[in-house]
Amino acid sequence: MSIQNLNTFDPFADASKGADDDVQDGLVHIRIQQRNGRKTLTTVQGLSSEYDLKKIVRACKKEFACNGTVIDHPEYGEVLQLQGDQRENICQWLTKAGLAKPDQLKVHGF
Amino acid sequence: MAEEDAIFDPTLKKKKKKKKTTFDIDAALAAEGNADTDGAPTNAAESEPKEEDQDDGNVDIDLDFTKKKKKKKKPFNAEDLDAALNDSKEDGGGEGGNQEDGAADDNFDLDLLDFSKSKKKKKKKKDLDELMAETEEKAEDKENVDENSTLWVGSDRDYTYDELLNRAFEIMRDKNPDMAAGKKQKFVMRPPQVVKIGAKKTSFANFTEICKMLHRQPKHLLDFLLAELGTSGSVDGNSQLIIKGRFQQKQIENVLRRYIKEYVTCHTCRSPDTILQKDTRLFFLQCETCGSRCSVASIKSGFQAVTSKRAAIRAKTA
Repeated sequence: MSIQNLNTFDPFADASKGADDDVQDGLVHIRIQQRNGRKTLTTVQGLSSEYDLKKIVRACKKEFACNGTVIDHPEYGEVLQLQGDQRENICQWLTKAGLAKPDQLKVHGF
Repeated sequence: MAEEDAIFDPTLKKKKKKKKTTFDIDAALAAEGNADTDGAPTNAAESEPKEEDQDDGNVDIDLDFTKKKKKKKKPFNAEDLDAALNDSKEDGGGEGGNQEDGAADDNFDLDLLDFSKSKKKKKKKKDLDELMAETEEKAEDKENVDENSTLWVGSDRDYTYDELLNRAFEIMRDKNPDMAAGKKQKFVMRPPQVVKIGAKKTSFANFTEICKMLHRQPKHLLDFLLAELGTSGSVDGNSQLIIKGRFQQKQIENVLRRYIKEYVTCHTCRSPDTILQKDTRLFFLQCETCGSRCSVASIKSGFQAVTSKRAAIRAKTA
């Protein structure tokens, strides 16, 4: 029987808590590109440079049973590139592994 | 009380649907105002059952309104509408959880503006929903609260804030049903006409028409489409857009829906009546209805992998 409107709400709660174990900042762009025929490529841009992308790509290749590589781009940094349409797979995997939060993922393409 | 519950159950469900159609920030503000004025709990409790009955009637009427309006604009049938409503409800539940009701409502809008193909989309959304299983649970909690919204009427337990808020919304919708029914249905859009040209190209036949409907520069929409699809393309003499690659209508619809969400609807009041202005390199979205002005993301195509033959590129550049 407490009055809910009078509950104390700490507006700085998440500010004081935030940025502790969160390495990933900024959006992770997941794109798809069409190749010849029905083939596609999935690129993952914007993963934090603190992560070891080579290890990530190794794990992804095994998990999704596809090939993949890390590309070093002068402007966009290291970009993950996977064969086939892995957009949903990579979204799920990144959140499950705790590398990025669902609201940090931005999926492009159709 | 138990009997009442039994009677109200269906209506409550309907209300949930309707709620998503009509949540907007103005309404929320108004609701808070209402909640303040409705302070006396005992009176409210006594008058509640009557209002409920009225509400029941109104809900049906409202739904009829929406159906009629849709019919006017498009040869929709009732089943489609129902499917769309169901769909959007699920979508809202799945995705809206992490961004409050507003976001859920947004999804709904975009579904309304949808090109009448909600059934196929459902599967895809479902997969994404799995991803957001956590948020879904949250949303379900919220729905449970909704169902309990009038449970405190008979009992002497204290009401919660959510219950009062729901009640205020219900009353508000009763008093002005046109606000609840109208407004959002303006959003119906014509589907894009997507035709294959040969094996490698796709034509978007009514591209300029859609640009006109959205009141956007064809170039802006073109940039967005090409950046999102990660291809190249151009507008040809018959004012149709030729895109490289094979795309289906529903894929283009998806991208269009995203465009509308980001660059056409006002981020504050979700009205489509907006102007896109360029101001010192940044794009600003100015709303004609509520007067809000906010910056929108610039269109970036980002990293593009090499998809053509490398030898061909080398031959071109060298």
